Amino acid sequence: MARSAKAVPWFVFAAGGTVIAFILPVMVFVTGLAPAIGLFGDALSYETMHAFVSNWLIKLILLGIIGLAAWHAAHRLRVCAHDFGIRADGPVSIAVYGLAGIATLLTIIALLMI
Amino acid sequence: MSRKPYHREMSKTTWFLKQSRYQHYMLHEISSIFVAIYVGVLIVGLFRLAQGPDAWAGWLAAVTSPIGVIFHIIVFIFAIIHTTSWFKAVPQAMRIQRGEEIVPGKLIIGAHYGVWAAVSVVVLLVAGVA
Repeated sequence: MARSAKAVPWFVFAAGGTVIAFILPVMVFVTGLAPAIGLFGDALSYETMHAFVSNWLIKLILLGIIGLAAWHAAHRLRVCAHDFGIRADGPVSIAVYGLAGIATLLTIIALLMI
Repeated sequence: MSRKPYHREMSKTTWFLKQSRYQHYMLHEISSIFVAIYVGVLIVGLFRLAQGPDAWAGWLAAVTSPIGVIFHIIVFIFAIIHTTSWFKAVPQAMRIQRGEEIVPGKLIIGAHYGVWAAVSVVVLLVAGVA
C-alpha cells in the first residue's frame, strides 16, 4: 500500500482534538471566567503566574496544549472555509497552517522570555 | 440527443441551515474559530507575563472587562461543544476489542467523560493551590 504523507497532519489533528477536548473547557474557565468572578484569590497574580510558568515542565505542557490547539484549529478552519463556499484550498492551506506555525513559534519565544 | 442534467438548488454558503444534522456539524466546525482566537489571547498573555507586572495587569484587566468576559463565555460554550462532539465520534474512530467482544461505544464515551471530569478537577485544584 502506498504511504501517504497525510498521516502526519492527521495525527496532529487527532491529537489536538483529543487534548483540547479534555483541557480547553477548564482552561477557558481558569484563565477567562474565574478571574472575572474573583475565584481562586490571587492565583492569577503576576508573582504566582510568573513562578508557575517559569517551571520547565509547565512550559512544555503549555507549548503542547497551545501548539496542538493551533494546528487542530488550523485544519478545521481549512475545512470550514470549504464549507462556506471558499474553494481556493491552496491559498487557504497556506494561510491557516502558516498562522498555526507562527502561533507555535510565538509561543516558544514567549515561553523562553519568561 | 441532449439531456439536461438535474441540478439540485444548493447555496454554497447557507446549505447547512437546511437540516439539523448539518447545523450540528457546522456548530462544531465553527468552534475552531473561537479556539483559534483564544489561542491568540493566550499567546498575548504569555508575552505580557514576560514583559512584567504592569503588562500582565493590563492583560488581566482586558480579560476581566465586560467584552473579555462575554468573549470567554462564548469560547467556553464552544469548547464544551467541541468536547461533547469529539467524544461522540470516538467510538467510530477507536474500536477496542476484548476477546471476542467489541467494547460498546457507550462504555468508551463514558470513560472519556470520566477522564474529562478528573482532568478538570486536577486543573482546578492546581489553579486553587498555585
